[in-house]
Amino acid sequence: MEKKIGFYVCKGCEIGQSLDIEGLLKVATKEGKIPVCKEHDVLCSPEGIKFLQDEIANEEINTLVIAACSPRVKFEEFDFPGCLIERVNLRELVVWSHEPNHEETQALAEDYVRMGCAKAKRAELPEPYAGDPIDKTVLVIGGGITGCSAALEVAKLGYSAVLVEKEAELGGYGAKLYRQTPRNYPYQVPEEPLIFSKIKEVQAHPKIKVMTSSKVESTEGQPGLYDVVINTNGNLETIKIGAIIMAAGWRPYDATKLGHLGYGLSPDVITNIQMEELANKGKILRPSDGREAKRVAFIQCAGSRDPEHLPYCSAFCCMTSLKQANYVRQLNDGLAYIIHKHMRTPGQYELFYKNMQNDPGVMLTKGDVTEVSLADNGNIYIHAENTQLGEKVKFEADLLVLATGMVPTTLDDPVTNLTYRQGLGLPDLDLYDGFADSNFICFQYETRRTGIYAAGCVRQPMDIATCMEDAAGAALKAVQCLEHTEKGIAVHPRSWDVTFPDPFMQRCTQCKRCTEECPFGAIDEDEKGTPYFKINRCRRCGTCMGACPERIISFKDLSVDIVGSMIKAMDVPEEGFRLLGVVCENDAYPALDAVGLHRLQYDPRIRFIPIRCLGSFNLVWIADALSRGIDGVLLLGCKFGEDYQCHFAKGSELANERMGKLQETLDRLALESERAMLVEVAIDDFDRIPKIIGDFIARVEEIGENPFKEF
Amino acid sequence: MAEEMVVKPDIEFIKRIQSAGGESLKKCFQCATCSVVCNLSPDSRPFPRKEMIWASWGLKDQLVRDPDIWLCHFCGDCTAYCPRGAKPGEVLGAVRQVAIEHYSTPTFLAEMVNDPKYLLFLIAFPLILIGAAIHYFGNFSPEGPVVYSKMLKPWPYVDFIFLGAAAYAVAVFAKGVMAYWQDLNVNPWKVRLKENVWLAVAEVVKDILFHNRFRKCTTYFNRSTSHLLVFLGFVGLFIVTAWASSYEWIFHKESPYAITDPIKWLAIPSAISLLWGIWLVIRDRQNPPENAGPGSYFDWLLIWVIAAVAVTGALCLVLRWMGLATLAYPTYYLHLVSVFFLFFYAPYTKMAHMVYRATAMIYAKLAERE
Repeated sequence: MEKKIGFYVCKGCEIGQSLDIEGLLKVATKEGKIPVCKEHDVLCSPEGIKFLQDEIANEEINTLVIAACSPRVKFEEFDFPGCLIERVNLRELVVWSHEPNHEETQALAEDYVRMGCAKAKRAELPEPYAGDPIDKTVLVIGGGITGCSAALEVAKLGYSAVLVEKEAELGGYGAKLYRQTPRNYPYQVPEEPLIFSKIKEVQAHPKIKVMTSSKVESTEGQPGLYDVVINTNGNLETIKIGAIIMAAGWRPYDATKLGHLGYGLSPDVITNIQMEELANKGKILRPSDGREAKRVAFIQCAGSRDPEHLPYCSAFCCMTSLKQANYVRQLNDGLAYIIHKHMRTPGQYELFYKNMQNDPGVMLTKGDVTEVSLADNGNIYIHAENTQLGEKVKFEADLLVLATGMVPTTLDDPVTNLTYRQGLGLPDLDLYDGFADSNFICFQYETRRTGIYAAGCVRQPMDIATCMEDAAGAALKAVQCLEHTEKGIAVHPRSWDVTFPDPFMQRCTQCKRCTEECPFGAIDEDEKGTPYFKINRCRRCGTCMGACPERIISFKDLSVDIVGSMIKAMDVPEEGFRLLGVVCENDAYPALDAVGLHRLQYDPRIRFIPIRCLGSFNLVWIADALSRGIDGVLLLGCKFGEDYQCHFAKGSELANERMGKLQETLDRLALESERAMLVEVAIDDFDRIPKIIGDFIARVEEIGENPFKEF
Repeated sequence: MAEEMVVKPDIEFIKRIQSAGGESLKKCFQCATCSVVCNLSPDSRPFPRKEMIWASWGLKDQLVRDPDIWLCHFCGDCTAYCPRGAKPGEVLGAVRQVAIEHYSTPTFLAEMVNDPKYLLFLIAFPLILIGAAIHYFGNFSPEGPVVYSKMLKPWPYVDFIFLGAAAYAVAVFAKGVMAYWQDLNVNPWKVRLKENVWLAVAEVVKDILFHNRFRKCTTYFNRSTSHLLVFLGFVGLFIVTAWASSYEWIFHKESPYAITDPIKWLAIPSAISLLWGIWLVIRDRQNPPENAGPGSYFDWLLIWVIAAVAVTGALCLVLRWMGLATLAYPTYYLHLVSVFFLFFYAPYTKMAHMVYRATAMIYAKLAERE
């Protein structure tokens, strides 16, 4: 495509009053060497858009540099099919955050124009990835309430589903219950388990294939193109799969570790799961002597919220014990004693809690159980302290139920058995105590393996109603994955992105940094050790681009070269300080926009370049900048570590690691590594940003001007 | 460290509290707002938070012997502020009722007193007893000016019946209070009766006379005023009764006494205080503030008995002055019946609170529980 570039500057939103527009047009024409440079009063108005459309039609412009507002707004207005659009952010980054009609502000705006023009010249119009035709069948692993619901959701959307269950029957723990906690107003009475009707629906649905007594032996390939081997009682079958919903569920915490709460002391000390089995027989009889249990004690958080056992809350035990207290009242006309740390009955479950609490035969107290002992008559004594009843109390019960928590299947079973270079299971599950969870409230079902979506209790401890919601969410994510993969665009979080990494393989040294660093396991190696991309796994974060020491991985609209050319386009004065900021466009760039929105002011001597993720930050840019006489480079990215907020899980952390090796790069230039710094910011940190910039510039000023300026 | 308390839930006790006006007790979720807003609760081991969970667990043994249930004057602050509508004030009222029942003998009589279906039966007893006395030893409609002693001679008949009723009540109270003290005086506040007992008694009497504790109430502050009026009315009338007895036995001065007699200067204001006080009680209970209820049968039985005593007593005086014999003598009969009811059933009705509360207050003083 022959590029014809047009530069258009908007004068709306105070840009016209605050900047010398003539000067900007002159910079674009003379320095940017853009053939068509024009101004307009309000580019986003119907007249402005008509003006741009006419330009495209009449002047045959196919690459537009639009100097107006932030690229994060007015995306649709400035979307012209078939044209490459480069947005220069004069509004938020310049006029809304700096003194109007000031020499430094004008210099800042001019630099952004230069950088925008440089980028427009190097970037190319992207086209979606054209891969092999895909299969759109969804594999659901686990036939419990989540798996059955997910398979049904997928099938109702018109996609085929394969439901794999390791047991001989569908149902999971939901089918072991005598009753389930109420899901509907007025939340007063436990309900018949819902799972059985779900199972019937699943079995009757023509789009769902059920495979019981089956496990996933291995999963090979990438979204849309998985070959999944299913082992059914030793028979192996390979199925073509497009996306996977992992609903592998949970198991109860091992009660034999709860000797301190009396487990093993007597057969009458049982878990909440055993309690369901007893209730299923119609009357709750003591396992030891078959006598009807008239006083049943419940110890909450048995092995949960306990650093020695499970550090987390298992979410279902409080409601389960209240429900089982109801069994004691209804089936045995007995008394239920609940000894808890806190009763946690979120949302509308409060109504059920109130109802059960109001039952004269249900007694609750906060307390710490110190000992469980056996009475001479075979009953069980529970000794507790710090109770609301008194400092030290003793309860006598016929039956003791330990409200044990949930352990995710993924704690010690990879479940999907991926044949990925990076391992069989999902990475970093230890951050979530083995649950296949994510730190993001907005990416709940995403795992670190594109195409695999976790739902239900394998993701987080949750109740049946939440499992069903989770199943619906994961089913929609799986369908999104199929549709985006088919179109050759990124699945998430860059779900609009048609670009993809395109390496220049002739220069690859097989150093494998890209395969090691890719957070999503999208890069594999062939037999010779040469890396190759499985693009359907890729999320387009550009971590590989940042990692590659040969700088051979590029996207159509972002590459080491493009950013380098933008740095080169900056005007570096012979005297005075000039700084570069490279910022993550997910959190740091919106925060910078918010600085403008709030009309906070910051030092005009720094210019910002947004990149997809700090993971795509290549150290060579620091060398590029410093060797041009730029005095310092500030990186703004997401929080990393255990509580990371990076949209690509590892990007900012990897950038930080690379910064650790900065000294090597700078030794060559004999420059101080303190001239570059990475700061973690969140999207709502806008109020901190002017100070971060100010502090960084003060630090650089202390070091002094870059000695390379004179060259 | 305190000793280990053995938890023995009694569901029948819970149901009893619920039926006696504490039906909301299970709603408590132990936030302790009640103990925080209470102006009477001590800083250490405050009430009514702990009483609420004891009630919820059906721990009758803990509750009936608990001095704190009597340190509560039912101000209503806890009930007004309770975020769950558990009405701790009402629950403690019901617990006090059960405590009175627990320490009174015979138990069946206590149960009858607190059950509306036996009310007519209970009234029938003094009605028949006094009616029979008049029938055999007196005259239902004497001739001449209205002189109540013509209906039934004070000695031996009236005195014998009423001193008997009072003696019975005192005996039942004595038994109950002794048992109560035994239960009360255990850890964590075990006290020894030493020389400071009388000091404590004196302080409690002063407290009661001026309603010092009661007047710390906020939500139900008005109750302390009406209660004080009723209380002072009773104190005055008690003195009047003793005075009249001295007239009868020592000075042999026949009733009725003239309006100029100093005894009337005390009797009439006391009667007015009682009437006014009980009227305020009835009126205020019609519009209880905040979430508080109008009260249980247990409360209302005593209110109506006192009202009956006060109204019939006042009417006796007025009807005598008016010389309306046909109305005056039946009213006097009803007055005797209501006073008998008040005396005889005192250990079982809410009247018993004066004895147990006073005991608990003395105990609390000795235990420095304030």
